[in-house]
Amino acid sequence: MPLDTWQEQLRRGTLDLAILLAVASGPRYGLAIIQHLDDLTDLVVTEGTIYPILGRLTREGLLDAYWVEDEAPHPRKYYRLTRQGARRLALMTTEWQAFAAKIDRLMAAATAERNGRDSE
Amino acid sequence: MILSDTGTSRVNGYLFVLERSLATFLPRDGVRDAVREIDSHLRDRIAAAGAVPDERTALEKILGELGPPLRLAQAYSVEQTVDQAVVTGKILAIVRAVWHVGMSTASGFFAGLGLLVGYFIGAGLVILAMLKPLFPNNIGIWVDDRSIAAGLDLAGFRMGAGPGVRAGEHIVGGYWVIPIWLVAGFGLLLLTHRGARAFLGWWRRRRPSFAVTVRPAL
Repeated sequence: MPLDTWQEQLRRGTLDLAILLAVASGPRYGLAIIQHLDDLTDLVVTEGTIYPILGRLTREGLLDAYWVEDEAPHPRKYYRLTRQGARRLALMTTEWQAFAAKIDRLMAAATAERNGRDSE
Repeated sequence: MILSDTGTSRVNGYLFVLERSLATFLPRDGVRDAVREIDSHLRDRIAAAGAVPDERTALEKILGELGPPLRLAQAYSVEQTVDQAVVTGKILAIVRAVWHVGMSTASGFFAGLGLLVGYFIGAGLVILAMLKPLFPNNIGIWVDDRSIAAGLDLAGFRMGAGPGVRAGEHIVGGYWVIPIWLVAGFGLLLLTHRGARAFLGWWRRRRPSFAVTVRPAL
């Protein structure tokens, strides 16, 4: 599998978690979520594709969407976590940490074995 | 950045194409909401751009980062139609999603073709069973005596509806075919429907690459 494909799959698999984390601390509108992801991660996405995913997460009941009319010269659509979304986020976070720990252990073991062979 | 008339027309054109593309697949409320959100996004991005010497370049950059309207509409449509089909399981939603996926990918096309055949045969059997009491002499299993006599056993049988018995033919299948066709028809419809949901679920899990695009490293 080409590296690009693997990277894309990795991003695709974690994007839902990233979006849920972006609204975990409070409601954000679409562009603010994109900027938040851009600021903190290299999970760079084509801006437009965030919106269909936000729509899906809303339909799945993980996010709640509402329009704010008077904050800017134009209306903005905000997203916030629902209770179900918060539960899912907690599960996904735990799962991610366990998964990352497994990979970390594998990498540590590989490094240790390689160092052991080099020193012999 | 405050848009000139040309810039405003460009943005309106983008939103118009997006709206038209979305209207093919999404309900009217969904289209209105999606276009409104993208409009809001563009207004924010344009306002944040500040004063720029070249409006056209700046605007094209903003629109480019959002992606072409057709591609954006496709991402919206696939997300919505497939999700709706998998979650609700409604026949219309499933057919619409299979159609959409079939038009988007090769695997979707062949799966859609197979599912279409399953739905058609299943529905055909149910319709035949329902029409049998009304047209007992026109619906049944037709037997061509000449083919049977020539040893072409399977070629001599034809199931369905016809204008009447022709010379050299006779019709078999009394009312006993009704429960058989009903069971077979509904069974096939159920199997095809489950197959369609399973296919869409699988397709949703592997989501095509346009869902997330890796931006090339600068």
